[in-house]
Amino acid sequence: MKRLLVLTIVVGLVAAAVAATFGSAAPTRGATHAALPPKPKLPPLPAAVKARGKWQIGVKCDTPPFGWQDTSGKNRGYDVEVARQFAKWAFGSASKVDFTCVTTASRIGTLTSGRVDIIISTLTWTADREKVIDYSVPYYNAAGRLLVPNNVTVGKLASWMPNKKLVSTSGSIYDRWIKNCFKQTSFQVVSSPAAGVLAVKNGQADAMMYDDAFLVGVAANDSSLKLASNVFLKVPWGVGIRKNEPDMKRWVDAAVRGMRNRDMFWSILKRTIPRRFWKQFKVNAPSPKHKLQYPRASPPENNCPS
Amino acid sequence: MSLLPDWFRPVAEFMIREGLPVTLKLAAISVIASTVVGLLLGTVITARFPLLRSLIRLYVEVWRGLPILVTVLFIYWLPDFAVGPVHVQLSAFASAAVALSLWGSAQVAEATRGAVQSIPKEQHEAAAALGFGWIGRHAYVIGPQALRRLLPPMVGLLVNIIQNTTIAYVIGINEFLQAGTRQFENLTSGLTGQQAPTYAPFVIFGFVLAVFFLICFPLTRLAAYLEKRLV
Amino acid sequence: MFDRPVHFLASFEWSVIWDYRADLWHGFTHTIKAGVVGIVLAYVVGLVLGAVRAYRIPILNQLALTYVELIRNTPILVQIFFIYYGLPVLGFHLEPFTVAWLSITIWGGAFMTENFRAGYEAVPARLREAGYALGFTPFKSFLNVTLPIGGRIALPSTINSAISVLKNTSLLLIIGYPELTYVANNIQSNTFRVFEMFTALAVAYLVIVWSLSALIRFLERHLALPEAF
Repeated sequence: MKRLLVLTIVVGLVAAAVAATFGSAAPTRGATHAALPPKPKLPPLPAAVKARGKWQIGVKCDTPPFGWQDTSGKNRGYDVEVARQFAKWAFGSASKVDFTCVTTASRIGTLTSGRVDIIISTLTWTADREKVIDYSVPYYNAAGRLLVPNNVTVGKLASWMPNKKLVSTSGSIYDRWIKNCFKQTSFQVVSSPAAGVLAVKNGQADAMMYDDAFLVGVAANDSSLKLASNVFLKVPWGVGIRKNEPDMKRWVDAAVRGMRNRDMFWSILKRTIPRRFWKQFKVNAPSPKHKLQYPRASPPENNCPS
Repeated sequence: MSLLPDWFRPVAEFMIREGLPVTLKLAAISVIASTVVGLLLGTVITARFPLLRSLIRLYVEVWRGLPILVTVLFIYWLPDFAVGPVHVQLSAFASAAVALSLWGSAQVAEATRGAVQSIPKEQHEAAAALGFGWIGRHAYVIGPQALRRLLPPMVGLLVNIIQNTTIAYVIGINEFLQAGTRQFENLTSGLTGQQAPTYAPFVIFGFVLAVFFLICFPLTRLAAYLEKRLV
Repeated sequence: MFDRPVHFLASFEWSVIWDYRADLWHGFTHTIKAGVVGIVLAYVVGLVLGAVRAYRIPILNQLALTYVELIRNTPILVQIFFIYYGLPVLGFHLEPFTVAWLSITIWGGAFMTENFRAGYEAVPARLREAGYALGFTPFKSFLNVTLPIGGRIALPSTINSAISVLKNTSLLLIIGYPELTYVANNIQSNTFRVFEMFTALAVAYLVIVWSLSALIRFLERHLALPEAF
């Protein structure tokens, strides 16, 4: 009897100790998880979208892992998942969204011409773009990298860039940055990120400048290419919204905040990026503890490395 | 289908299933619109109204002079406008159809004008002697004869329009070439789980060429045959 | 848009065209560069292969026929892609300008071949026979009789093909060759002035194509054969 009592107390103490250790070590995000309802309180949906009964969202179709199409024609990727979440919260179903394929060159025009409600298309923040469209709160943080052949060493950007041939997509932040800061670099636009990869592979260009997540995947898959160690233009992405649509901006901002507070961006990242890159890109997704901010004080495309 | 390498089978299926119907639909709509508008314009231009002739002439010179790609881009990026209470914004597909039809109708108008003007004067005089007015003359006497001469170039136009639907690729329409290019991009970027050998471009774009050839070659032969028999 | 056209047009920022005039000019020169090279080479291809076809030279005739039918029955954009993405696989690493003129030459050459073939075949037999009577070998007869006359018969159709080659340079934006359409698209994607750029582009092409047509029509009047033939 006594032994049973002692045993119970010991087990109870051990259990309490275990609960205390693991309970308190559980990330605070877990506590926030449990506290929040699955759907945030959202402002009213903009009238046009509500009347239509579904979203019309512009996404990339040529930029894995953010926006691409698989062989069954289905849109997939990080941006696409964000769009589907919007559909779920607006209409109750992830299928209530029509995707329009946009490219870096066409996305702003597609938005401003009214063909889509919003664009979720790897849209980096720049001061120039903000003059023409509005940005939601950030939903992903990207950095620029250089894709080069294996035998190339880059060193300092300012000294390596002159007289080299670089490629990127038309209208990208890299397009602006190179034209602003590296006037001696010959720059050519390609019609898709994949075309840029091929240009480097085939020796038509010395390097491709593009977003880290895309290039990391390419380099991992291709043993003849690698990423230079330089990291630059660390600027977040936002959802593109037309100017003078405050109700749209309010809804989208609330949705992005809601997703961030529920750590949904991390889940989406895990769903869309191969496992071996999770550790590297975890910091790019906003989370309850980690908010992203636009560098409004110093617009990135004017920051030229010395 | 068993001849296709493993990596290519889903790619080919995607292209045929998703891309080809769009190409054919776009071509069909454009050909019909081009024919209707072109026949009308080509006939009217032969009438003796200088203002009308100049306007149609301008239409023909503009839409034949512009590269089709530029027409497509221009039409697609036209700001949305309102016709009365109706708000018009052309979708990518509609823009491509309008652009192809503008070009096609200009081609048909030119061919029609040539065909109508090649009918000997005697036919006009005989018809007038029988009591036909301008419209009646053109509808019952000149028209049918001109149409026979038009048939070969019309088939030629169909071939051209089918091929020119690929230009719509540039504004993102998921036609046959776009379907192939999209898959090619997936394979190149290496992040989509699809893998392909380095000679993939030959297979994919060769496949696009082959399918277009299979569609267009018989039509070209038909046009040549009609040319021999009808003209 | 239709009810107040002037007001509508004034609401755009047309100054972007002036601001980027240097880039647009470079785009224009690139268009002309690739266009001229393509047209000249297409003429050469057409002249030679047209003769091969008209004279039915064995084996070469079949090869030329295959080439012509393949090119005429497939879209030029696909041909451009095939060449641009395919050649590096074979080990040829070409710069965009080379792929540019190569692809439009291959396309234009097929059409020129047919144009010249028709021209050569339209030369009346009696003229060729007169050449033989004068002691010309078949080759000399071709050079002195068939080519000058057949070439001039083919002039209108080859001119149309040449203008088409020039218009098709617009498709070369796909491979990154910085011709006019590429430049206009690039400016639009960085300045967000979409309608302005593509309107300017359309006007530019009309000016180029119409001027070229007018020039050629003028030359044609001097080069064309007299009615007697």
